[in-house]
Amino acid sequence: MASTAAVPFWRSAGMTYITYSNICANLVRNCLKEPYKSEAISREKVHFSVSKWTDGKQEKPTIRSDSPDA
Amino acid sequence: MAMAAIRREGRRFTPLVSSPNPTFNAIRSTLAPSEEQIGLGVRSISTQIVRNRMKSVKNIQKITKAMKMVAASKLRAIQVRAENSRGLWQPFTALLGDTPSVNVKKNVIVTISSDKGLCGGINSTSVKISRALHKINAGPDSECKYVILGEKGKAQLIRDSKKDIELSMTELQKNFLNYTQVSVIADDILKNVEFDALRIVFNKFQSVVSFLPTTSTVLSPEIVERESEAGGKIGDLDSYEIEGGETKSEVLQNLSEFQFSCVMFNAVLENACSEQGARMSAMDSSSRNAGDMLDRLTLTYNRTRQASITTELTEIISGASALEG
Repeated sequence: MASTAAVPFWRSAGMTYITYSNICANLVRNCLKEPYKSEAISREKVHFSVSKWTDGKQEKPTIRSDSPDA
Repeated sequence: MAMAAIRREGRRFTPLVSSPNPTFNAIRSTLAPSEEQIGLGVRSISTQIVRNRMKSVKNIQKITKAMKMVAASKLRAIQVRAENSRGLWQPFTALLGDTPSVNVKKNVIVTISSDKGLCGGINSTSVKISRALHKINAGPDSECKYVILGEKGKAQLIRDSKKDIELSMTELQKNFLNYTQVSVIADDILKNVEFDALRIVFNKFQSVVSFLPTTSTVLSPEIVERESEAGGKIGDLDSYEIEGGETKSEVLQNLSEFQFSCVMFNAVLENACSEQGARMSAMDSSSRNAGDMLDRLTLTYNRTRQASITTELTEIISGASALEG
């Protein structure tokens, strides 16, 4: 049952399903007309800071404040 | 007016009248004759200290009242979205089940906490539950790691579980909370952390005064397959028809990722709701305490003031009678 036949193109490109659906949602949002478009774009903003930890030590945090598509 | 005359009389017996704030004296001439502080502190009781405390307590009360209103308005805005987002993960739980008792090798505990403080005890309860989960799941052949969202959780978990932290994320609430942001976070976690089961710990919002710490479990697709072969709720997956050219493992992988993202979204919203509600009740009790403190201080202040007036009067009168007699 666990075969690897016909992996979709985005998964073989390294994206997860979440990323794929986010990109699709972004495309849909760009199809809207004003003023709904600017409202929808404001729902897409991303900002947080993430940092990896190794051996009990925190590395330098990277801030992801760009456009929301991964 | 009579008091003013007595004051003038009293001044003959006080060679040093050091009044640092003459405007103060003009306003309070009938109230607090004991303005002399440093040079003549022995003779009169100073109410300056009590007055300063009263002023600062009153300011604190105003600030906490304002914070409570801000938290109430934020709560109203976010509560509707949190309740609407519950519909996102309910179909997933109906399909794939929520099995906190699953026995896996690699556990990852996602603790959701707030960035700002002054919100009561919700962060401590989240951290307590996370630690308990860690203890339950960390056996000889299974490991348990933390992913922390929010500053307060990080500060508490650093103290004793530094080695088990995998990722930490902060500054989540800068923009309005939206699905895109949470899904990017979920994506980061999926890419950076190996897991068999993810346990998300957050505070579920029941009402303005009650927040239940809850944990949701999301399994990785391999484990879902294993469980589905073992029968039980997930075993019914085979009875569903799958459209398209995808195999069952494909569908399971997509579903599990999407489930993680939806559960995270709901968890973050509910935690934000609980944070605002807890902050509201904390600020409310603190303004009430400030009001009580203010009452007590006012009583002390009045007592001190009356005692000093009586002392001053007695001295003047005894001095005057000593002169006459």
